[in-house]
Amino acid sequence: MTSKPQLPQGFLTGTRIVDFSWKTVGPWATRMLTPYGAEVIHIEPPHRPDDHRFEFRPVYGDAAKNQTAFRDAPDSPAYYTTPNFSHLHAGKLAINLNTRHPEGMQLLEKLIATSDGLSENFSGGVLDSWGLGWDRLKEINPKLVYLSLSGYGHKGEWGSYRSYGPSAQASSGLTFSSGLPGKNPAGWGYSYMDVTGGWCGGLGMMMGLLRMKRTGEGVYVDYAVTEAAMAMLGPFFLDYQVNGRPTRRPDFPPGNRSIWPEVAPHNTYRCAGIDRQGQDWFVFIACETQQQWESLCAVMGKPELLSDPRFVTMADRRANQDVLDDIISTWTAPRRRYEIMTLLQDVGVIAVPIQNAEDRVEYDAQLRAREMYPVIAHPEVGEFEMERYPPRLSRTPADNHGRAPILKEHEEYVFGEILGIDSQEMNRLREGGVI
Amino acid sequence: MATGRPSFGTREGTSVQVFDGFTVVELADRRNQFIGKIMAESGARVIQIEPVEGSPGRWIGPFADDKEDPNKCLDYWWYNTGKESIAIDITRKPGQDLVRGLIAQADVFIESTKPGTLKGYGLDYDSVSAEHPELIYLSFTDMGQNGPWVDFEMNDHAHLALGGPMGSSGYSDPKETPIGGQRNHAYNMSSVLATHTITGALFERLSSERGQYIDISIHDVVGISTEAAVPYWLWYNQAALRQTGQHAAVKYRPTTQIMCSDGKLVQVTMPQMPLNAWVQMVKWMEEVGVAEELSDPKWRDDFYRADRLRNGDEIHEGIIRLLSKVTSEEAFHRGQALGMAWAVIRAAEENMDLDHYKQRDYWQPIEHEEIGKTILYPRALHTNDLLGTRPKSRAPHLGEHTSSILKNDLDLDDRTIEAMTKTGVVR
Repeated sequence: MTSKPQLPQGFLTGTRIVDFSWKTVGPWATRMLTPYGAEVIHIEPPHRPDDHRFEFRPVYGDAAKNQTAFRDAPDSPAYYTTPNFSHLHAGKLAINLNTRHPEGMQLLEKLIATSDGLSENFSGGVLDSWGLGWDRLKEINPKLVYLSLSGYGHKGEWGSYRSYGPSAQASSGLTFSSGLPGKNPAGWGYSYMDVTGGWCGGLGMMMGLLRMKRTGEGVYVDYAVTEAAMAMLGPFFLDYQVNGRPTRRPDFPPGNRSIWPEVAPHNTYRCAGIDRQGQDWFVFIACETQQQWESLCAVMGKPELLSDPRFVTMADRRANQDVLDDIISTWTAPRRRYEIMTLLQDVGVIAVPIQNAEDRVEYDAQLRAREMYPVIAHPEVGEFEMERYPPRLSRTPADNHGRAPILKEHEEYVFGEILGIDSQEMNRLREGGVI
Repeated sequence: MATGRPSFGTREGTSVQVFDGFTVVELADRRNQFIGKIMAESGARVIQIEPVEGSPGRWIGPFADDKEDPNKCLDYWWYNTGKESIAIDITRKPGQDLVRGLIAQADVFIESTKPGTLKGYGLDYDSVSAEHPELIYLSFTDMGQNGPWVDFEMNDHAHLALGGPMGSSGYSDPKETPIGGQRNHAYNMSSVLATHTITGALFERLSSERGQYIDISIHDVVGISTEAAVPYWLWYNQAALRQTGQHAAVKYRPTTQIMCSDGKLVQVTMPQMPLNAWVQMVKWMEEVGVAEELSDPKWRDDFYRADRLRNGDEIHEGIIRLLSKVTSEEAFHRGQALGMAWAVIRAAEENMDLDHYKQRDYWQPIEHEEIGKTILYPRALHTNDLLGTRPKSRAPHLGEHTSSILKNDLDLDDRTIEAMTKTGVVR
């Protein structure tokens, strides 16, 4: 294996992060640093690699110990790379380290001493149980930026509680604010608060690094995903306190209609065709201005709606949304969704298809033009397309060609070059189950 | 001119805020206002330049007492805590000169106009950076600065539709509509990524003393936000089914929203449960008389349990029976004690009564003299005194700081300010 990794040159070149992240929220927070050259060292326990390397294969109890790597054919080489792992750990380094072994802890402390940041998304109390509470971390490295990502934060009576994206969404009010009135919440069909929640955590790390660079001080960011989730719903808390209006009420959530601003139409409308899973196709249409309403009526060939007393003003259209939505649905039903988008966008009306992953990759001309799927070369699985990290910076651009590390890929570099361990000693540590 | 060099001390334990000493100037827009809010909550001085009729964000609603008033819009209150407001007509040359003067004093400039708009005013990056190379200039727009859809008309919900979140979210019924969540989520998530980028650019500028241009497309950002959906398509050409309250997946799966005895729903995760937790779970089921076949010792075998969890419904049905006998709060706390990441599906406001967040000092009082009341704001996004994150003051009234900024920052005299006000250049 190569020793010194080839990392992109960026403004975080020379910034080292110890990364005990797993699942999704933790990996995202540190993955935001690699496009700028940070050296993020992802640490996995020996004999139990990151479960995203196995793509949701079973990891229950003793069964976890028998995880085996993928093989494309019975006699082909084993590999530990999957779409999700590749995406979440792009540009990182990988080592194994046994933190339950005293020598493993010594190595970890040495690594922390040479690093700028430490990130973990264990349940509260795990690092304390290792003897690595914030007081100890500060002793090891006074300039350390320590980001802990957990559902409820470490401080407080729920500090040891567990959470995944869907639980954080449920607990915060995010799930409850997505759905049709009178039905169970639809919630979010993916871990919104593992992705966006990871970005919020990543922002905490970046802010900590900036503050450290300005002051020379380390900082402990006890980040709670549920708190960031509630911040996504800020106006609801104000409406509740100022107007006494809770979100737990019969007409909430309102599906895809808009409560505020008070506009109509603002909804999804069924159109021709189904996707490959048999789900109906829909288009979203909204008119926020009188001009857009007039343009919609013109495109639908229904100028008479403009003088229909049910639809003359925005307030009229709001009051008669049910019938208005029926009229628009009748127009969209036999039409193709991208055709509707083009017809209406050409006259300045908000109209877009509800795109799934296939649509965004195969049919989204904008994402293609913006080169959102760069090709990544990987030594185990060859070339593949991956989602690009979106910001475009003119002078210090984000690198988009980092790949996820293969298992233990950077052992020689981390233990050898960073920690100064010779090959004989490294072999002893391997044999002793430390690395 | 601001340089971003350290402007504060290094005493350990002081409440040093991360953006202390930085000035952010933003052109008011519904899309970008969360960025300035996050930065203001961590120490930046944020000047919002509004049109003389007020930021578009002032007209969203809801309004205090449901009476439309640009100074009583709760959506605006939330997104603009701690900012200053100056109202300028930037379509006119004198207004453009004022904006140029403010940008000259800024570390960060944020705008969300349609591409090309500011070039016509001489306020594009090339024009202003020539004299101010330290400026970090963010264009935060629907589609970015290029591409065939760059002129699309969008709103937040349209981004959730086009960018993918709605394609994954909805109900376990292929005829039912996809659903987008309520309240500016596309703008919020993109703003978080944008603030991360600005913070990185400020970090870089401490060394280089040079600014740069940043182009962020909300569509690009939302497009990568849907977790494994796109990677799965790119690798396996797998398309997913929307499912009520849980991840879209290739096949329909049992519900994860389970009704408790008090009529409230709990979000469950199917447990990755070690033996001792399993034993406790079965004991709990036995206490309420619903264990049935799960009391059989064969379920103590990890491999058997893992297999049935994937290929059977016995454990899932047992948990449904269990939760039907207990309240949602009992399910939450006792489930957590067993290591289950279960959570009550709460309405947002129900969190305000919980001791946990009070213990974390999450709710911050802000006085609103407009309604004679102090109300509690969540912190955005980190409850952390060393980063300084907390809302400092209420959102500004329309043009509240126009005079003081013109006088103190742009050195204009009272007569000039009065003339500009009369002619509608400022308000």
